[in-house]
Amino acid sequence: MRESHTGTSSGEGWKLPGMMVRRVEREVYEIFIGPQHPGSGHMRIIVRLDGDVIVEADPDIGYVHRTMEKLSEVREWLKPIPLLERMTIIDACNITVPYVNALEKLMDKSPPPRASYLRVLLCEINRVASHLYGFGIFGVFLGHSTMYMWAFGDREVFVELAEVLTGARLTHTYPIPGGVRRDMPQDFPEMARRAVRYMRRRLEEYRKIFLDNPVIVRRLEGVGVIPRNLAAELGIVGPNVRASGIKYDVRLVEPYEVYDELDFEVPVFEEGDALARTWVRVEEIKQSLNIIEQAVDWLERHKGEPVIPKEDFDKLPKLHKEVYEKTGRVKLLPAHASMKIPAGKAIARGEMGRGEIVYYVESDGGTTPYRVRVVTPSARNAVIFKYIVPGHRLMDLPAIYGSIDYFPPESDR
Amino acid sequence: MVLETILYIVAYPPLWQLLILGFLGSLVVAMVAIWFERKAAARVQRRIGPYWASPRLGGFINIVADMVRYVMQQVIIPNTVDRAAFILAPIVALVVSILPLAFTPLTPISLYWPVASMEFSLLIALAITTIPPLLVVALGWAANNKFAVIGSMRESYVITAYELVAVLAILSGAAATLSFNLVDIVEAQQPLKWLAILNPLAFLAAFLAVLMSTSAFPFEIPESEHEVVAGPFTEYSGVLYALNMGGAYIRRFVYAVLLSLVFLGGWAPYTPVSEGPIAGFIVPSLIVVAKATLLVLAMSFLRAVYGRYRLDQALEAAWRLAIPLALLGFGWSLALAYANVI
Repeated sequence: MRESHTGTSSGEGWKLPGMMVRRVEREVYEIFIGPQHPGSGHMRIIVRLDGDVIVEADPDIGYVHRTMEKLSEVREWLKPIPLLERMTIIDACNITVPYVNALEKLMDKSPPPRASYLRVLLCEINRVASHLYGFGIFGVFLGHSTMYMWAFGDREVFVELAEVLTGARLTHTYPIPGGVRRDMPQDFPEMARRAVRYMRRRLEEYRKIFLDNPVIVRRLEGVGVIPRNLAAELGIVGPNVRASGIKYDVRLVEPYEVYDELDFEVPVFEEGDALARTWVRVEEIKQSLNIIEQAVDWLERHKGEPVIPKEDFDKLPKLHKEVYEKTGRVKLLPAHASMKIPAGKAIARGEMGRGEIVYYVESDGGTTPYRVRVVTPSARNAVIFKYIVPGHRLMDLPAIYGSIDYFPPESDR
Repeated sequence: MVLETILYIVAYPPLWQLLILGFLGSLVVAMVAIWFERKAAARVQRRIGPYWASPRLGGFINIVADMVRYVMQQVIIPNTVDRAAFILAPIVALVVSILPLAFTPLTPISLYWPVASMEFSLLIALAITTIPPLLVVALGWAANNKFAVIGSMRESYVITAYELVAVLAILSGAAATLSFNLVDIVEAQQPLKWLAILNPLAFLAAFLAVLMSTSAFPFEIPESEHEVVAGPFTEYSGVLYALNMGGAYIRRFVYAVLLSLVFLGGWAPYTPVSEGPIAGFIVPSLIVVAKATLLVLAMSFLRAVYGRYRLDQALEAAWRLAIPLALLGFGWSLALAYANVI
């Protein structure tokens, strides 16, 4: 299968660097799914069919590449935060926390515990919202419009929860080096608990209409199986690898923020098929709900603690301090935007809804990063298409795509 | 003389049945089905659905507006298509979809039948219902688009599997009553010896087959959006697309009329008391149409509950489950006839 990318129809022939030459086969029907296709997202999958069976699937990514890494190099240290959020707008806190962690490592600064808990709280709200988004898309890929509407409707609960917490529905720009931008509102804990109770009830209804639906089970069971060793070999991350029986979660293997103080489980399934990947997400939503409850309880017990380090707070003028006391909003000084960060290199990782995200940040002591390298989970998961789609039927492609929960803007960066 | 001729032509019963009941009636039923599908799905999905165009009618005008939009839209005909087939196939398919209604009696009174004799009407109506899918295959091929060709291939797989089930299951009505005459079949079921109750197997098989052959959920496979865009209809736009989409609903309605005659007792439990137009035609035909509409609505509702099966799974369900079921139903019908139950 691989050889067909490097040779001409005569089998050998010339090769240009970076150029793919494909053999023309008579028995194979080639269709381009995407980039303008209801089932593709911002990418293209070149599918070759023999009858109804896919013999080759070639994920063609890069349609929404926005030069995130390069743009970060020409922005002051804080400004990549709202920029990087745009990669996965539905998972905005999870994608920025590791970047902020990397900056904190360079600055040798650590956030106060309350700020850490607030970050974790928003991260888990984001994770639930992100999984629900994935569910919605997955549902409509299988023709199940009810799942689509339900998941998107229920996601609204968590999006609004994030809005109450941060002031923005999606692009929160919540964590900043040393803390967060805003304290929790007074009535937030009750809202969060109500949302958690509601979601637990809804998950039971999801199970009835979608996960135990005989049509859906038949579509997903045994489809798109990623064997354990293949998952490890390809370096797949997130719920996809956990559905293949590998217990890998950055929150577990290298706890950041306050994840080591929280009580949660990492659900693992052995089957590795699309159904297992779906169930992993459901179980993860349940765990995230537990974490939200614990974080809210902790935050309620520790009212009035600072959300930015004391030395930063002391530097603020009187007016800004008053705003913080009254509204919980941290108003930063302009100097904060043009701060310099000591030269050095730092790596930070985090677990997003879709898997592990890695940041490598290098500073030369200036006001902008020297280099920001991002490896997003979708970028690591994109390769799955090539390996597990062949051999399946054309109608399995949406089922596999949806179960992988691939998100092109995140992958293309 | 001229006036009489014109009157005779205008009041010609087959014309009325085809034009008023066939075309307008099935159009209205299709619109109600689409509206119900959207409203019921919205209810399940905790939305409101169509509403603001006419809050008192529950947004029904929205569907009319959609139809008007389709009619006004530009019809784009790509250069690469086979023009004649591309344009004609949807039109012919729609007309042929309605045609079985010319052989379906909606009342026992022969004055109001569209054709003079109802002998073999079930056989003829069933034979005609099997033609439109072939035209769908043809128009997909004429569209000269990869997705359309895949959609057509799927359609052809589906019809080979499911038309057989539909024909067998519905013919079990003839087996039970030993007649191809739809009037006899309905009269045999009077007042409550409905075949759906006496022979639920055949009814179930027929229901499944109708779902499949009119691409209703969970068998919406030839047009499955997420692999083949709109299947055979990918290149269509404007009114031609509306004909294709409406055609499926109209076929579903026509099948439902046949099902309600064969399995649900037609105009039973009503028996015409006189030959007047109201008691003799309008009341019994409204009963049949109401039963058929209920069937169509039940089929539409499945969209809110199920996803779609995979092609091979649907075909497997046909050959492993639906065809044995239909055969069993047919045998059961013969047993009923042998035992003189009907």
